[in-house]
Amino acid sequence: MADTALHETQESPAAGKRWWQRPEVRAIFIIWLILTIIGEALAWVPAWLMGTSASEQMDEIKQTMTAFTAFAAPVATLVWAAMIYSLAKWRYKGDTPPPDDAPGFTTNTPSIMLWVIASGVLTMIVFIWGLLKIAAIPAAGALALTSTNAGPPIEIQVTGNQWVWNFTYPELGNIQSDVLYLPVDRTAVFNVTSVDVIHSFWIVEMGVKVDANPGEIAKTQVLSHSLGTYDVRCAELCGLFHGAMETQAKVVTQAEFDAWAADEGAFVPVGPVAAEGGE
Amino acid sequence: MAIQTQEHTSGSAPSNARAGGALMSRMNLVTAIIGGLIVMFAAHYLAAAFFVMPVLEGDAENPSGLGWLIDNRITLTTMFGWVLGFMLGIGAFNGPVRWVLGKDLTDADSLFLAGKDQGVGRYFRFTTDHKVVGIQYLIITMTLLGVGGTVAMMIRTNLMTPHSAFLGPTTYNTFVGMHGIIMIIATIIMVTGPFGNFILPIMIGARDMAFPRLNALSFWLIASVVPVLLSVPFLGGMPTGWTAYNPLASQGPVGMDGFIVTIIVFAVSSAVAGANITTTAVKMRTRGMTWTRTPIFVYGVVASVGLAIPAFPTFMAAQVLSGLDRGVGTSFYTAEDGGSGWLYANLFWLMGHPEVYVILIPAVAALLELTPVFTRKPLFSFKAAVIAIAGIVGLSVLVWAHHMYISGWAPKLGGPFMLTTEMISIPTGLLFLVFIGTMWRGRIWTRLPMMAVYAMLWNFVIGGVTGVYLSDIPVDEAMHGSMFVTAHFHYTLMGVALTGTMGALVFWFSKMTGRMFNERIGFWGFWIVQIGFNVTFLGMFMVGFAGQPRRVFNYSEMFANGNFVSTMGAYTIFIGMLIFLYTIISSWRGGEIASANPWNAKTLEWQVPTPVPLENFDVLPIITSDPYGYGRPTSEPKEGASR
Repeated sequence: MADTALHETQESPAAGKRWWQRPEVRAIFIIWLILTIIGEALAWVPAWLMGTSASEQMDEIKQTMTAFTAFAAPVATLVWAAMIYSLAKWRYKGDTPPPDDAPGFTTNTPSIMLWVIASGVLTMIVFIWGLLKIAAIPAAGALALTSTNAGPPIEIQVTGNQWVWNFTYPELGNIQSDVLYLPVDRTAVFNVTSVDVIHSFWIVEMGVKVDANPGEIAKTQVLSHSLGTYDVRCAELCGLFHGAMETQAKVVTQAEFDAWAADEGAFVPVGPVAAEGGE
Repeated sequence: MAIQTQEHTSGSAPSNARAGGALMSRMNLVTAIIGGLIVMFAAHYLAAAFFVMPVLEGDAENPSGLGWLIDNRITLTTMFGWVLGFMLGIGAFNGPVRWVLGKDLTDADSLFLAGKDQGVGRYFRFTTDHKVVGIQYLIITMTLLGVGGTVAMMIRTNLMTPHSAFLGPTTYNTFVGMHGIIMIIATIIMVTGPFGNFILPIMIGARDMAFPRLNALSFWLIASVVPVLLSVPFLGGMPTGWTAYNPLASQGPVGMDGFIVTIIVFAVSSAVAGANITTTAVKMRTRGMTWTRTPIFVYGVVASVGLAIPAFPTFMAAQVLSGLDRGVGTSFYTAEDGGSGWLYANLFWLMGHPEVYVILIPAVAALLELTPVFTRKPLFSFKAAVIAIAGIVGLSVLVWAHHMYISGWAPKLGGPFMLTTEMISIPTGLLFLVFIGTMWRGRIWTRLPMMAVYAMLWNFVIGGVTGVYLSDIPVDEAMHGSMFVTAHFHYTLMGVALTGTMGALVFWFSKMTGRMFNERIGFWGFWIVQIGFNVTFLGMFMVGFAGQPRRVFNYSEMFANGNFVSTMGAYTIFIGMLIFLYTIISSWRGGEIASANPWNAKTLEWQVPTPVPLENFDVLPIITSDPYGYGRPTSEPKEGASR
């Protein structure tokens, strides 16, 4: 039964028909179209799995994730469509090798050119997209103070230490905390370093990540736009309790932040915010 | 030296036992272990005498009797002593020593080394026959995959629940590192070792490799160092993962030294193997086998070992410097004394990225080799496949710093490295076209090797697409160091490379063992592995998106579901692998006797008898066309013309 189908597809598409008129091309196109529509409809899933966003750059990252999934879907589904069709239509079942060979064509220059050009174009789109987003997202060290809709930036020293994070606020009398407090809508500039091994400072919901290297200071920054409590983790294996090297980032209003700082500065652990998470 | 003709076989079996052969014939795995132990203890006591103070202090402080283990210098010396003694005992230095003494090997000696007229014993000797070395590589690869897989099950068991105390952090970190390095070594050798040695010389019409003794040397170096690697968990473990980043490695216990010795010896082995295989492929092809008539698998193997030649020396250098930092107080990687962890990271990834293609290319090439056989069609655009492999090789040495986007090192290089990395998707995409073009309108004979092509394509799409995500700095900013990365590279290294290797093993099983692989049982093993694999790592993508870091022994409750799914998937893989292993063993012992060419394939290895005779060919063939002459009106059996 598979044999008849096989012979039809193998021998009929020859003379007269242009490539897009061949039955296998049309069938694969339809499968590809259906799979692509499904893929595009689900392109939001990765960004959704990434959860809350607490900063503009996390918004950009999630947008990139969705865009790349949308770019990738037609490519992936093209391969899968060809696989599905070939299994359904060109399959030979038997315990001995097929008695006759398939058509002996060895290459097809137009399809190779089209394939290479298409993948080249897609690569360039992805690359240029990345470059544009780098300009929007300050990667490690590439400091670009562009966001100015709020108050002046606040500087924070981040120190990795097996296996805790320490946050020091030099502008606020060097007060220290093991929980990161950030005033909302103000750019925080992080000077990240380590006292022992390499750690990686990661505020998950803000898309901030930079290695904490001993003997080096890496700069990065973020503008948090949503109040709430977020996760700070270590993203570089740093020894025994790497898995437990977590803390919280609390994004609070300027007033709450000032109250917390005043309490910390005075070393009087009273007040609602300090009692909740301060030292 | 390769043995050129059959005329030299006049030496009878007893003549092997005369003068020079006498010592050689008594050397085997047992003398290797004895030699290793003798030199190991000698090296240990010499080192302990030389570095006497720490030993005495250690003994005083450490009542467990393992006081000597606290000194890295002594541990390193002891381990190198074991490797040296093992290689002496296996007879690796017989040839050079006799050459120096003016008593170079006779033809009879060479035939003895090649394993002529020896039974199973030749697999436990310094045997130079490429087919013996191929089987030895197959066994050691399967052993390493088994150990690495079992360790992975322990890791997944620990990760089944968020706050498991199944392993504890020290053991967990050690197992993460052990799983990593065991699997890296196993996957690097899993195609070029068994098939590159057993199949490749026959495929190109050669009687042996270019340097048969170097071939045996490359295998026994790996064999010598496996016990060193497996000793790591018993020497305090390693806290670093297989990347062995400094300065964390400098904090590690003496188990870390086991890692360092392993990498240094493995780098020597891969250099030796690379020189041997590339020379063989370039110089030993039979008459008429031009480059366009050379099978694509040969290109894949040469690309792999050729890429390893520049890659592994930097890894070796990285570990030598690491050993010096640990042993004698140099400061290559310690910031407070002028060193830099970024130096280590650069040296490591200069190896680390070419290395993934060292693993990937030969497995994909093996599938490219078998696809025409099972579609009864010529390989679609042989030249595009060669260009794609060459393009991947060329680009892969220019992308290493994409592992360091967020390290703080040279942020201005992010753009260029993003470009080179994303450009790799062009030659990689071309390989997809070669596969699809070869399948196009084919007579697709869906035996297990061909099924591996389908499974590989599915996995490669996912592994490739997620690789493009990660290569883009904005995404890497969120995903670097997360389980997303772990899932991505398992899709490439396991989903593509190991799947391809399983297909290659089923394909060439009959030629290597003389028996058919039982596909009725193997089918279930293979597909249970594939299903379990996709469940495991799709679950891992989910927790990676949500922000779970890699290499953590405990994790937040929010990741509990995804990790549970992953663990169940991992157990499924394990069950499938056990079935597959059972199939291999039972088919090898009692499978159906194979004919010379059960797949009706056209490459040379299928034209020689099964089992393959000692020197492969009575008469070397002359090649008149490429090996993919399916469906061509003019195609003839290309071995027709022979001398």
